Parts: sequence; structure tokens; C-alpha cells
Amino acid sequence: MGNVEEEIVSIISDVSGLNAEDITPEKNFFKDLEVDSIKAIEITVAIEKKFKVSIRDEDVPKITTVKEAVELVSSLLNQKK
Amino acid sequence: MVKVDKDIYDAVIIGAGVSGLVCGCYLAKAGMKVLIAEQHYKPGGYCTSFKRKGFTFDAAAHSFGSYREGGNMNRVFKELDLDKRLKIKRYDPSDIIITPDYKISFWNDLNKTIKELQKAFPHETKIREFFDFMSSPKPAEMAALRNKTFKDLLDKYFTDNRLKTILSVALLINGGLPPSLLTAFTGSQIFSEFLLDGGYYPDGSMQALPDALAERFKELGGTLLLSSGVKKIMIKDDSVAGVVLEMGDVIHSKYVISNCDARQTFLKLLGRRVISEELFQKLDTMIPSLSMFVLYLGMSKDMASLPKPGCTAWFLSHYAIEDMYLSSKKRNAGNLQEFLLRVSPEGESVLAMVLAPFRNTRYWINNKHIILEAFIKKIEEHTTPELSKHIVYKDAATPYTLYRYTSNYKGAAYGWESILSQFADPDFIKPPCCQNLYLTGHWTTRGLGVAGVTYIGYNTANLIIKKERLCYN
Repeated sequence: MGNVEEEIVSIISDVSGLNAEDITPEKNFFKDLEVDSIKAIEITVAIEKKFKVSIRDEDVPKITTVKEAVELVSSLLNQKK
Repeated sequence: MVKVDKDIYDAVIIGAGVSGLVCGCYLAKAGMKVLIAEQHYKPGGYCTSFKRKGFTFDAAAHSFGSYREGGNMNRVFKELDLDKRLKIKRYDPSDIIITPDYKISFWNDLNKTIKELQKAFPHETKIREFFDFMSSPKPAEMAALRNKTFKDLLDKYFTDNRLKTILSVALLINGGLPPSLLTAFTGSQIFSEFLLDGGYYPDGSMQALPDALAERFKELGGTLLLSSGVKKIMIKDDSVAGVVLEMGDVIHSKYVISNCDARQTFLKLLGRRVISEELFQKLDTMIPSLSMFVLYLGMSKDMASLPKPGCTAWFLSHYAIEDMYLSSKKRNAGNLQEFLLRVSPEGESVLAMVLAPFRNTRYWINNKHIILEAFIKKIEEHTTPELSKHIVYKDAATPYTLYRYTSNYKGAAYGWESILSQFADPDFIKPPCCQNLYLTGHWTTRGLGVAGVTYIGYNTANLIIKKERLCYN
């Protein structure tokens, strides 16, 4: 879980330019992290590529915080095991 | 001649296209010492204008969008204090799409456009829903469409192929792809920039935009070098160290931002030894967008039968949009079926364009005038039978001309093709081959068009500003 969070924070940091320490679990992508359409796409695509998972299209709009993204990816990784 | 400071620059930008200029303005506003090197003698890239025989022609970009309150262009212009310097007018309707059965206008008042479409296609019940989504898509909803094409999106709302074609023709000509290949994101971006919030034009010509940006950049302390191509990006210890100009000057810099063609950036300016084998292979298989054939006409009088000055008209002779794309790839004098036509706001000059492939230099040298004459005949057939009697100046830009002026690979009009496999690729914003190298503009796989590259320029600058822990406000 720890690694998943670190990797996701690093992806968000790369795409948004924000410092990793400012990207805490409760942060809202759209209200706090200035994530717009293209950045939302870039983050989703990068997460899928990094963890080799595919997020269902209908699940994408449900993710609003960093914590929710970490939880979703962790559960997808568990399913893969 | 602008004097190059022998000191180290914080950032050097290669290319004074709109994206490079916007990026430069933001970096300079944040207090960085910035130099832009442009190969051409004027700034703007595809957003330049030129004068011939007293007529002013926009070279390629001929209007822009996203200038509504809260739109990307609006925000950038306000933040850079350009909104009050530039006189920008919006034309109404901004666009008119003419097919064998319909004539649909895109009005500044969206409701009016929706009603017009509902009247023409009464069996389609989701027109308003589609426009609502296009007007303000939520980021998460767009992310859910990351693997979808614009056709997938259209199919969710509509069944009538004629309507889908009417809603896609501006994307084909201004994005280079049919809806079945164009990413849903880029399609939505073009749709909103050109049809929902389009039709803006600066006083004078499109050149006013890059000129105002260049002026502002210099005011903010930036150095703009024109007629100064870049020969090499210097690398030291896995990080960029500056650039070498074609004329030999060495400019040291912490960051290098390339606003020029991506293949040139990697293969010529960096060189085969700097980039990874993986990136080299990728560059070899990636597809550039199609180019354009642009017709420029100077008229001796206003022609009532032409579209209203300032309005962009799109002509279609059938509805098979996929076939239009396929025939664009084999463009010749005999297949000029769909095209864009625009009379300049002052009513004197006409610009018309079709998609075209690069082929080779010789083809265009041999065929430029044949296609030019065929294009004029086509316009006469469609709208203005007496057109050629009133032409006092005619010329055209071929894909080779576009390449020659902008160095875009194969005269590509929109960077890489906006297909799903070439979309939002991290290698094209912050390449992993060396530190402190960034790309900006339409080769970043993140969007195109004047408003698209303006956003990308703003975004690239922001990545650097945040990294440097600076602030531009």
C-alpha cells in the first residue's frame, strides 16, 4: 500500500508539477491539485501503465481524492494476485 | 540585432510559436531570465500573417476560440495583461456548415445553434445534452473517455450519420482526422474551441496575437532572437546545458524548452546518442498529422455570394467523413470535395484550405498551380460562379511551403496525429533522456490549435515555475 501511494503521488507530482509533500491522501484532485481534463487523463493513463492495471471507465469519475485512487489501485492489484 | 547576454540564461525556448511565446511570458513573469530563438524573421509559427499586393493574409491559423470568461485564452491573456492591449472581436455566426441538404450556423448564442440543429434533426433527442457536455466537460468524465474516440462519443448521443458528419467536419479539417480516429479529448477540444466558443479575431490580422505576446515577453525582460535557428541542444552530466545557434553562438541555460518539431528536437538537436533506443524506435513509427493546401486570394470587390466576412464556412459534398479523410491522404486536383473557406474580416482577402499529404517537394512544385486553379473552380462551383473575374492576387501554400516556413516535420499541420496510441505521452512533455528538457506546442500529444497550444505553453511554464518554487502572480 505504501509503495502504491508513493508511486501515485510521484505520478501526480510529475503531471501537475506540485511537490510530492503537498500531495497528501485527503487532497481532492480537482479542488486542491488543479487537475483539469488533460491532467486527469494523463494521471489515469500513467497509473494504468505503471501498475499494469486497467481502471473501468465507470469507476474513473468516482475517484476524487488521492486516497481513493490509492485504494482503487490497491484493490485492482489484489485482484490480479 | 538583439544582443545575446553572455551570462547564463534560466531558460532557452526554441521556436516562437504561440506556445513558446506563452511559455516564455510566464517564465519571464515569474522572474526567470529567458531567451527565445526563432528561425523565422517573425514570431508566430502557424499563427503568422503576410502582406502581398496590399492584401493581408493569415498564413494558416485564421481565428481562435476559448476566449469566453473562464476559457483558456481568456485566462492567459488576462494573466499576461494582453486583454486590454489587443482588440478582439467575435464574429456571429462564427461558423457555417454547408452540405447538400443543410446549412447549419454556429451562433455566439449557443441556444440558437441548438434550436437550429433540433429543427434540422427533429428525431435526434440528445442535441442539448451533447452541447451541455461539450460546453463544460468535467475532468473526471474526460478521463473516463481516455481510451475513446470522438466517434464513440458521438455514437452515445446520435444516430443520424448526417448530423454526426456536420458535427465532425471542423474536426477533420482543423484536427486532421475523422472522428473514428480522433481521440475524444482532442475532438472535444477542437469542437469547443471552433464551434462552441470560436470566431474570435484580433484587430488587424492573426499576426497581432504573436506580436502582442512577443512585445509582452520583451517587456517582461525576455530576449527574442529572430532569424536565429538552433543547431544543437547542449548536454552536460545528463542535463541540458543550453543551445548552439545556427550562426555559432553558444547560449548557456539551465532549462531548454523546445517549441519546434519533436523529431527535430530529438534526432537533430539532441542527436541519436542522447535519446534511448526505445524513443528512437518510437519516433520512427509515430505518425505525423496531415498537412494543408492553403489558397490565398486577393479580391477586387466584396462578393455577396461568399460567406460573411469573419465567418468560417465549411463545404461538404457528401457525408462519408471517413472517405473524406482517405481522399485527403491522396489529395489531388480532382478530389477537392470538402474545404474551409473564409473571407477576412475586412472583406478583401479569401483563405481556403483542404487537408493534404506532404508527398515530396517535387510533387508540390509540379502541382501547386494545377491544384490552385482546380480549387478556385471548386469554389466557383459551390458558391461564387464569378469568383475568378475578381481575383487580383492568387497564391497558395503547399505542405512543402508550410514545412519551409515552420520546419514542422512533413509540414504537419497539427503535430503528431491525435490518435489514441499517440495521446498524452509523457515522453513528449518532459522527455526522460535528460534533465530540464521540456517540450511545448502541438507535438506534445496534448492538444492543438491556437487555444490548445496556448494552454500547453502555460502548462509547460507552470511545471518549471513550480519546480523552481517560483510564482508568476
